[in-house]
Amino acid sequence: MSRYRRRGDRGILYIAVAILIAAALSALLVPVFSPYTPTEQNLELRFAPPGSEGHLLGTDEFGRDVATRLAWGAWAAAQTAGGGVLLAALIGVPLGVAAGLERRVLDPVIALVVDAALSFPGVLLAVAIIAVLGSGAVQVSIALGIMFAPLFARTVRAETLSVSQEGYVEISRGLGTRTLRRICMHIVPNVLPNVLVIATSSFAICITIEAALSFLGLGSAPPQPTWGLMLRDARNYLSVAPHLAILPGVVLGLCVFALNTVGDALSEYLDSGHPDTSNT
Amino acid sequence: MKRLLLILLITTVGISQLLAFGQSERDDESLRLAMSGNPDTLDPQATPGTLTFQVTRSIYDTLVEPDVDGEIVPALAASWEADDDATVWTFHLREGVRFHHGADLSADDVVATFERMLDEEFASPNADELGPIENIQAIDDHTVRITLGEPYAPLLASLASSWSAILPADLVEEEHDFGAVPVGTGPFRFREWVQDSRIVLDRHDGYWMDGAPQIGGVVFFIIEEPSVQLQGLLTGDFDVIDTVQPESLDRVREHPETRLDETLSSLAMVLSMNTRREPLDSVDVRRAITHAVNKEQVLDIAYGGGEVGGTFMDTGDVYHRDFSDRYPYDPDAARELLAGADADVGRTLTIAVPQNYEAHVNAGQLYQQMLEDVGLDVELKLVEWSTWLSDVYGDGDFDLTVIGHTGKLDPEGRLGDLTSERFYTGWQNAEFNELVRAARRTADVEERQELYAEALEILAEEVPMVFTGTNYRYIGLRRHVRDFHMDGKLDTYDFRRVHFLNE
Repeated sequence: MSRYRRRGDRGILYIAVAILIAAALSALLVPVFSPYTPTEQNLELRFAPPGSEGHLLGTDEFGRDVATRLAWGAWAAAQTAGGGVLLAALIGVPLGVAAGLERRVLDPVIALVVDAALSFPGVLLAVAIIAVLGSGAVQVSIALGIMFAPLFARTVRAETLSVSQEGYVEISRGLGTRTLRRICMHIVPNVLPNVLVIATSSFAICITIEAALSFLGLGSAPPQPTWGLMLRDARNYLSVAPHLAILPGVVLGLCVFALNTVGDALSEYLDSGHPDTSNT
Repeated sequence: MKRLLLILLITTVGISQLLAFGQSERDDESLRLAMSGNPDTLDPQATPGTLTFQVTRSIYDTLVEPDVDGEIVPALAASWEADDDATVWTFHLREGVRFHHGADLSADDVVATFERMLDEEFASPNADELGPIENIQAIDDHTVRITLGEPYAPLLASLASSWSAILPADLVEEEHDFGAVPVGTGPFRFREWVQDSRIVLDRHDGYWMDGAPQIGGVVFFIIEEPSVQLQGLLTGDFDVIDTVQPESLDRVREHPETRLDETLSSLAMVLSMNTRREPLDSVDVRRAITHAVNKEQVLDIAYGGGEVGGTFMDTGDVYHRDFSDRYPYDPDAARELLAGADADVGRTLTIAVPQNYEAHVNAGQLYQQMLEDVGLDVELKLVEWSTWLSDVYGDGDFDLTVIGHTGKLDPEGRLGDLTSERFYTGWQNAEFNELVRAARRTADVEERQELYAEALEILAEEVPMVFTGTNYRYIGLRRHVRDFHMDGKLDTYDFRRVHFLNE
């Protein structure tokens, strides 16, 4: 893989980072400074177009401020998707390390579970989990966690395997270092960068799945402001107020694009000479 | 080469134009209707579902039927009479009526039909609608006698309703699966049902009514998405669509080839309250909640417009009385009542909303905001339709809920439910129950109207529900579809007079 990025790629990376910073800032600041709450209705001012006075991005079918709802939606997306990724890492990383170290019993069992879980189409698995747990934002986080845990487990297992066969780890084992200490000293620091890369890219996928599940009515319930719900409501008003569908769609698309770009760059950076990882 | 192609093209177009001109009668074509859901069955006795009735109304006939004004007129029964105390009813059947599979209609079919419906093993959800029937017998080939245990004024209306469709006795005997392959005497015969896709009916040529039906058949396309229905109507893929969203009304009105059929529905839109639970057991709190709701706004925004109500009756019904001036929209009065109420109004109230009904979900959000405006703490909970039916409507496990109650041809169908202790609002009133029971036994229309008026006034004062009102029912039509009739009360279509206009 090329060690040097082309200039165009770098430009795109800057744009992506800018988008993420903008999203993060609006998610943090708009809820504090907006004169509106995300569920506050103004039935006198329904379907105001973007650029209306007092409503920069217009209002929706209940006269709620779209800009405020989009910002709160970013919060909701970050919470639900972030919770999912965190849970996935908490389940997946220990499983992966265990499978990588204990090759006789644990590895085949964990591999079987992981392969079985990965063979399910993603959203279908999430829908099945929600069918059991019931719908709601927390349930979506749990579903996302279960969905993405195998991905973490598989990557971490491979990394653990290669690291534990490195000379210095072998030596450390020969010297009788205790397993737990060995994991903390050698395995975890080596595995962490890869976990970060997977976390970034799966965060992007989690956001789209969260939106998809909300759109299907399986995620947060109205009047919660989430991008998926905003898109769901907007589809009935495509002819009268297209901005209701376009705005959350564009915001969702931009965020996913930005996260993926940053994730790719991160993985490339780590692959191309990060001191802790070998050049594989 | 190019010229040759051009000539060929012109000829082809010309010939097809000629052909089209030759059969200027479009009437052998089928009516294409977009329907918003897949019926659970096509057996009219096995379900209370409107979607089923919307299809089976065209496949079956009933003994009597409502005409355009809601008056009960002869159908399969050419005439009928009742004895003096209205407990023995004799129906004289029309001669020469034929079922789709060839058998002639006789009194045995009527007897077999109602015996199947009343059969406890069959457990029809509509069995109670027939009232206190003691016995049904065939007097001769074309005469049927129904004997009641006590006078039951709603009988004719029930016999005119879709669940009273007459089935053929020989197939009832064979335990034929009417749910999958319906066979009746109706204007259209069943051809096929592709689940979740379409139901196809063909014209029944031997139909008893003169000059009906006029079209070749009806195809019900099952299209859940309102925007897809609308697009299909505008492009001409559908002749009729059963859902037009409030925001799309103008598009259908203004399009040169479509028009809007606007009728008052038979629904009573309500925000029901669980009067078994605190603080909703307090009538002051219930009145405060009624004061807090801007009914007109809910109807306009969530339901596409309608008439404001004040009691548990659709506003177009002959038994309806206008009590909309009781506890009108007045947030200040609501706050005052809440402040003085002898109940804990600080508890979080949950509005359960059936999530598959977008209009109810929207109404729920409006109610939530309106109740919060007067200081109540309210949250919204979306539930699946099956959960709504079992937990909310079945077990009465809810605080507040948004729903529309369908009308019946007779007010007993609506008000009788409220007399049951098991009714989901849990509201009971001895005086009300007595009035409704008395009205059930009264045949005289004016006397019944007075009894019901009193009962409705009790409801308007006690408000176990916020009686928001009755919405308009919008159907989108292509302009060439003529004499289309939607029966607002039964919420079913009558395609017998439909024909296509050719320009």
